[in-house]
Amino acid sequence: MFQSVLIIGAYLFCLGIYGLVTSRNMIRALMCLELMLNSVNINLIAFSNYCDPVEIKGQVFVIFIIAVAAAEAAIGLAIVLNIYRNRNSARIDQFDLLKW
Amino acid sequence: MSVFYISESNKSIILFLIEIAIVLGSIGVVTLRKIVYSALLLGFVLISISLLYLILNADFLAATQVLIYVGAVNVLILFGIMLINKPDPINLKLWTIGDNLSMIVSFILFIILTINIYSIEWSSIQIMDSQSIPINSVSTIGNHILTDMLLPFELLSILLLVALMGAILIAKKDDSSEMNTLIKKK
Repeated sequence: MFQSVLIIGAYLFCLGIYGLVTSRNMIRALMCLELMLNSVNINLIAFSNYCDPVEIKGQVFVIFIIAVAAAEAAIGLAIVLNIYRNRNSARIDQFDLLKW
Repeated sequence: MSVFYISESNKSIILFLIEIAIVLGSIGVVTLRKIVYSALLLGFVLISISLLYLILNADFLAATQVLIYVGAVNVLILFGIMLINKPDPINLKLWTIGDNLSMIVSFILFIILTINIYSIEWSSIQIMDSQSIPINSVSTIGNHILTDMLLPFELLSILLLVALMGAILIAKKDDSSEMNTLIKKK
């Protein structure tokens, strides 16, 4: 049971990396980032449940990660909105202002 | 100790169902063409992850996951999608070499992680039976936050404040151009 939870975490992390690299829409990249953060949370909770069930310090770290993820989503969507207003597009491969 | 008691065989069945839901839902999040569907599937995946937390005796974090991820982040992403409703161009190249390459790399990474997880002797690390020790997770987390993790907690509150102000400042409409047009009209 412990190993299957760890494998779910690894699966979500790899799928998040794949989606983050290949997605052309910026909002989909943000969603894949959320998946990766969730996989880290799953790992922390699994280890804190099976190796440290008395002082659950892993769960405290999960709370911190959730708060950072909320801040990241808010900032990221604000940046996406601003870029969409300026460039009239939300695709990653068209943001080449800093290319040269 | 969780509020309800589930026997070990029932637990593994429930865990299997939750894992199937997470696997299929996250594949849908990455591969579906319409982004609204993938955002709704992301909410489904997050809810199943919170059920996984319930199985792992983290009841407070399950509630937090539903509140923050499903209630705030996913709704924010849906708002973002609905503000930016521009359909993808049809003549988009669907499958490129980079897609293949990144798929191979992430698959190899998954294989390596799986081999590592199964090759480690987890029984040598002392895995305690978590059902036998009754603890109250909410009061334990509160104790940790207010005693030995006080400094990160306070830094986190500053981070949230800065993120709130920064999000408003970035997403605010830049009104200098509108002011210029108004001045020109006058």
